[in-house]
Amino acid sequence: MNHEEILSVVQEKFLSSELVTAFLCDAKVLRPDCIKKDRLLAIVEYGDEKAVFCLFTSCYPPKSFTDLSIEIVLPIDNSFKCEIDNKPSDPEAILYLNLQSRNNKFKFEIQMTPRVDNFVDDLFRGIEAVNKLPTQPEFVWLKKYDGQKEDDFIAQTMVLPRSGMAHTQVSAPVAIRESLIKRKMSDKEFDYTFTKRFTIFCGTWNVNDKSPVIPLKGWLCVDKEPPDIYAVGFQELDLSKETFLFDQTFREDEWYNAVRTHVDPRSKYVKVEIVRLVGMMLIVLIKEKHMSHVRNVVCDTVGTGIMGKMGNKGGVSIRFDLHNTSICFVNSHLAAHVEEYERRNQDFRDICSRTRFVQPNQLPKAIKDHDQVYWLGDLNYRITELDPLSVKRMVNENNFGPVLEWDQLNQQHKINNVFAGYTEGPITFKPTYKYDPGTDNWDSSEKNRAPAWCDRIFWRGDNITQLAYRSHPALNISDHKPVSALFTSAIKIIDEEKYRKVYEEVIKQLDKMENELIPQVKVDITEIDFGTVRYLELQVRTITIKNTGKLPVEFEFIKKLDESSFCKDWLIVEPYKKCICADESCEIQLKVLINKTSACKMNAGTDKLYDILVLHLYGGKDIFITVNGTYQRSCFGCSIEVLVNLNIPIREVPVGKLVELESKRDQYISNQSTYSIPKEIWFLVDHIYLHGLKEPNLFEQPGLHSEVLQIRDWLDSGSIDPIPGSIHSVAEALLLLLESTVDPIIPYNLHPVCLRASTNYLQCKQIVMDLPEFRKNVFLYLCEFLQEALQHNAENGLDAKTLSTLFGAIFLRDNPNVVQEPQSRINKQIIDKKKAQFVHHFLINDHSDLIFTK
Amino acid sequence: MTSGPYNYSYIFKYIIIGDMGVGKSCLLHQFTEKKFMADCPHTIGVEFGTRIIEVAGQKIKLQIWDTAGQERFRAVTRSYYRGAAGALMVYDITRRSTYNHLSSWLTDTRNLTNPSTVIFLIGNKSDLDGQRDVTYEEAKQFADENGLMFVEASAKTGQNVEEAFLETAKKIYQSIQDGRLDLNAAESGVQHKPAAPGRPLAAPPAHRDNCAC
Repeated sequence: MNHEEILSVVQEKFLSSELVTAFLCDAKVLRPDCIKKDRLLAIVEYGDEKAVFCLFTSCYPPKSFTDLSIEIVLPIDNSFKCEIDNKPSDPEAILYLNLQSRNNKFKFEIQMTPRVDNFVDDLFRGIEAVNKLPTQPEFVWLKKYDGQKEDDFIAQTMVLPRSGMAHTQVSAPVAIRESLIKRKMSDKEFDYTFTKRFTIFCGTWNVNDKSPVIPLKGWLCVDKEPPDIYAVGFQELDLSKETFLFDQTFREDEWYNAVRTHVDPRSKYVKVEIVRLVGMMLIVLIKEKHMSHVRNVVCDTVGTGIMGKMGNKGGVSIRFDLHNTSICFVNSHLAAHVEEYERRNQDFRDICSRTRFVQPNQLPKAIKDHDQVYWLGDLNYRITELDPLSVKRMVNENNFGPVLEWDQLNQQHKINNVFAGYTEGPITFKPTYKYDPGTDNWDSSEKNRAPAWCDRIFWRGDNITQLAYRSHPALNISDHKPVSALFTSAIKIIDEEKYRKVYEEVIKQLDKMENELIPQVKVDITEIDFGTVRYLELQVRTITIKNTGKLPVEFEFIKKLDESSFCKDWLIVEPYKKCICADESCEIQLKVLINKTSACKMNAGTDKLYDILVLHLYGGKDIFITVNGTYQRSCFGCSIEVLVNLNIPIREVPVGKLVELESKRDQYISNQSTYSIPKEIWFLVDHIYLHGLKEPNLFEQPGLHSEVLQIRDWLDSGSIDPIPGSIHSVAEALLLLLESTVDPIIPYNLHPVCLRASTNYLQCKQIVMDLPEFRKNVFLYLCEFLQEALQHNAENGLDAKTLSTLFGAIFLRDNPNVVQEPQSRINKQIIDKKKAQFVHHFLINDHSDLIFTK
Repeated sequence: MTSGPYNYSYIFKYIIIGDMGVGKSCLLHQFTEKKFMADCPHTIGVEFGTRIIEVAGQKIKLQIWDTAGQERFRAVTRSYYRGAAGALMVYDITRRSTYNHLSSWLTDTRNLTNPSTVIFLIGNKSDLDGQRDVTYEEAKQFADENGLMFVEASAKTGQNVEEAFLETAKKIYQSIQDGRLDLNAAESGVQHKPAAPGRPLAAPPAHRDNCAC
């Protein structure tokens, strides 16, 4: 089963809205008391929220989702932490993953595979994402896995408090930074490395199924100085069926030992790596003194034989880093047969594309991803177009030139069909194939093939010089002769001191960059003065936020500590959250509107026209925006009790006085108060009484907003001019004034009684009689006035039903601070009807007795 | 390339507090950019800067919140104290009033941070010795009485700026080593950054066993 197939099985374990974004097989849960094997770790995403699941797999790979059971669920929230360690004894193969969420810690042991990278990246992405969220995710979707978990952790941890403001900047993009450092360091490689020449011996020999019965000194030990590195490749080590099918051969040890025995005795060599695929084997040895500078040794094999897979043909490779230079050796045996050069080209390309060096936590490397590549092997290219006899004649005369022109490899190389970018040294030795084994004679079999330079060595990379390229005909046990090349190659060595310096510079640069990448904006105004703000008069100011940074910026107005909203209720901010691209601007409107709710607070002194808004930039700073203004006090939003005690226009009342009056409004009694009803109500009612009783559609046609505002100013300033505006505007101002009082004419606590009594006039009367003094006055005064108005219904078109509905809603207005039970429409209609009924009694009955009872 | 140091192991959160105009932003700027910002505007809000430093061979990322000093913002800036591992409390040696207000800043800091938060007192503008209004000795005594670390520094010349930030980090790191600072506490102001996967440090840091989990 491949990764995708397992993924689809794991995905089935979850809902389709819960997406498995990454998973790891073969994980273990490490506990102090036990180790649990056969676990699978999965990252599951639901909307913005992610969680890590640990599942038990009853068989591996899981064939169906029933093979999986969920054991551990770790929501990736603000408390989520992830640490990764290597297993000290086996740092290359085993990772420890320490995950912590909401005080639950788990340690997992996982196998190092290329998938680990994806998984860990996905994990970090999750952590980063959650830290960017304005609010702590709730993970409601995880609750259903509650019963399946092994530990009772969700219950105890679901209540963790969300971290407050100033905690948003948590996880920097760690992975990005890491790779940036790597790249920057490699860009500056020359600043901290110097080069040193190493000699590299490359040898290749198709041994044609022979054992090493002769010494190899004449091949491996012919140079003046012992080379620093040996890379020795064999082909056709073992042609037996067993090797082909089971890939086991005793020849591996035979030839390896032979090589070890016959390398230059003047130096001590150690093995870097050995790799074999069927008959292809590659051995890399290095002088012992260099071994400590060899790192990241990885090998790979690619079969290109039968079915494009089998290992009778193909390539084996070893890569490693020597100091700061990456080196790759490839030993290949390409397709046979004279005419098959296209096939050989294809084999080469297959080896290039399929060879993958997998290293923990790095992208897999291909052959081309190395500073130096040495490619040796039986490449099997032949001489065509020339008859065997003349080939033999010419090569026997050491006249290689004309023959090499017909060498398929030279031809294909020249037109870049194969070994593009690679170099081969000039060939000055006789063809290495095909000989009668045990002799230096050309193959005497019936095929009578032209001799060919099958065995070749190519290289690729800077600063490589070939010192020798030769064959070794004396080693004659095979039908091929061994070939070798000696190189002197520049290896980059790190100057630790310089490296440290450059590293510090890079870190500093990145620090600087990081600071530059912190979102930057310019806000044109941070102190907004609304000046004088009047009741019900909307005022708008605009501020402009310009993104002066290099990246898009997301801003949001955020709540201050212990506040339920980011701004006061009299302020509206639009938009309060948005993303601005670099160099672009965003206009934000701040609107102040003092309505009855905020006016009451302003009059009572519990609120001021002052607020500080916190404009937060995601991943960056916060900007404080101060909002300021002066509220022009108004009779709107005052209590009845305060209004009856004001004998001067409200604007002339000293600021503190009004606050004081509001604070002790419950203590007023009639004989100490100035008026029995507020003068403002009297002005408006009297005006309508004198000028508007016959006005058609009285109380039904709306007034003009601007005239209502003029009337407000007239009332507040105590003007001696006549009341401005039309009768309808005055009527509307009256309604608005009655609506804006701190509490309704009939106090909230009496509303249930009123509704219950609404069908009974006597009871209603009793309630009104028991009202607080000023409320009763206002109530009865208005009802008297409305009865008067109804007298003129022929002209003004009023009827008692309409008026009682309108004034019912005002006298018995709902309490905005009490969260109403969700009422059905019918229920609401019934209540409204009862309110109207209550008022209706007083519009049709004579209640003058009530007025005079006092 | 696999050897050598890279990246950071911890994130420490700092706040810089003190009266308006004492040079908080300049100190931050000097520390992160190694430059003096001559015409530094008043901070209206909370600025933010980072730098990676090294303490005892450990890379530590400092996340520094520079707060507005104006009195009217005091109520709002109090929100930012929470979760700070270090608090740099700054006054201006040439303005006595900024020194007189220290006890009020200190009260806020003590009330709003946790007991292990390291508080470092900085007498800024040490380059203006001629206009000095607060003696070194007096401030030193205040610091000692209140258990604060203390230097006089200059954001202009850079004198002692590096030291103040680094000494604070050392003290915090020491607290982690001693186990006085619980990394798992949400308010510790310190985060342990996950190590780079698969790249073992040349010499495994000693702290791993003490505090990683």
